[in-house]
Amino acid sequence: MADSFLGFRRAGGNVGVRNHVLVLGINGLAGAATRRIGQAVRGTVTVATPYGRGQVGPDAAMHTRQLIGLGRNPNVGAALIVGVDRKALDAIAGEVAKAGMPVETVALDDVHEDALALTTIGLKKAAQLVRHVSAQRREAFPVSALRVGVECGHSDATSGLAANPLVGKVSDRIVDGGGTVIIGETLEWLGAEHLLAGRAATPAVAKAVTDAVARREAYPASLGIDLLGNNPGEENIRGGLSTIEEKSLGAVAKGGSRAVAGVLEHAQVPTLKGLHAMDGPGYSPESITGFVAAGAQLVFFTTGPGNSYCSAIAPTIKVSAHPQTPGRLPEQIDFDGSAILGSGEDADTTAARLYVHTLAVASGTATWGEILGEGDEVFVRLGPSL
Amino acid sequence: MRDALRLHSEDDVAVALRPLAAGETVSVDGLAIILRADIPMAHKLALRAIAAGQPVRKYGEAIGEARAAIAAGDHVHVHNVVSRRARNST
Repeated sequence: MADSFLGFRRAGGNVGVRNHVLVLGINGLAGAATRRIGQAVRGTVTVATPYGRGQVGPDAAMHTRQLIGLGRNPNVGAALIVGVDRKALDAIAGEVAKAGMPVETVALDDVHEDALALTTIGLKKAAQLVRHVSAQRREAFPVSALRVGVECGHSDATSGLAANPLVGKVSDRIVDGGGTVIIGETLEWLGAEHLLAGRAATPAVAKAVTDAVARREAYPASLGIDLLGNNPGEENIRGGLSTIEEKSLGAVAKGGSRAVAGVLEHAQVPTLKGLHAMDGPGYSPESITGFVAAGAQLVFFTTGPGNSYCSAIAPTIKVSAHPQTPGRLPEQIDFDGSAILGSGEDADTTAARLYVHTLAVASGTATWGEILGEGDEVFVRLGPSL
Repeated sequence: MRDALRLHSEDDVAVALRPLAAGETVSVDGLAIILRADIPMAHKLALRAIAAGQPVRKYGEAIGEARAAIAAGDHVHVHNVVSRRARNST
């Protein structure tokens, strides 16, 4: 089975490419204690929100959706959820546990607000979970089990020329294999949304794409900010980009060329396979957390001059096609695509190499970001705290 | 190292892979183009004539339209191509 990888079987047909014990802090009041537990127990990954109180309406719902989505990510083999009040903790833990893996909890409520006692209990629970997940073995799964987010950050001319189209070719291959690809950053569809809408599976999906762009366009306008006047910016123009269409076409190339099956809200889990467009922010840390909370097990992250940011939960494959960047950042760039522009390697040949590397990472090969601990998750806010 | 890259077979433009000088002949997909202007790296050169008002294609898509007649070998940039989206911003 050529197009397969070795992953961890999860309930509901999901497959993890990692077997993390996630230490998930759901309230900033316990953030430091959450991180202390994670640091003390090898084999854990820690995500601790700085928020969690005083949030209402859509902002509260979005925060909760992101926490639950991160907890349910298929790369999580077990979770220790750390909170403040028992009621909020049980509500989130109950939702996370629906993914079918072991979930333990610890709350400051349980220990009379003693963060050190919380640490002791949490540490013991996390240790038990690490031992439990270590017994699980990888099995072969088809590419259709993959859900991959595609992101670009610190882009330059080589991103639109080579790195994004390269990732686009691999995106197509994953979609053709029955898998799922999620492209976000709504603002970078502006001027290329006709292309995404033109590939929409249904008229409703096409309308959702153009409506999402119109909303992103209207927000800065409502604040009196002339978005189009700044885009492409002076740096882009110096770099040879002439219009917003040209800039966005370079960005959406990383989503490949297949039909758009659906438009997702930020952190919304897709119910279909295939290419999806997530209506979300252009700031990479937030955008990537949206993908991961939607269940992406892997992320492609293209860059021109380099960008060290990674997801904590999903291995993040850094791709650069800049002639100098891979050589200058050998412990950051996971895949060197510079041969496309340098020696004139056929882009399909480069894409075949990236596809093989992707399946290797899905099977356990470490990314530089994992080795160096560059991972984080950053939560979107939709309104002010009360 | 090639001189320039055409990203899609229907494109009107190619992208310079190194700084190119006016008067140079560059080869792109079998076309020999005599440059009528300097082309900085990553900037665009016209592979064929584009009439004013016609779409300019890169990635196989219109990136805007020619605001003046463009000849093969011209530098294609903000001076002679304009967005169809952001018409009020220029």
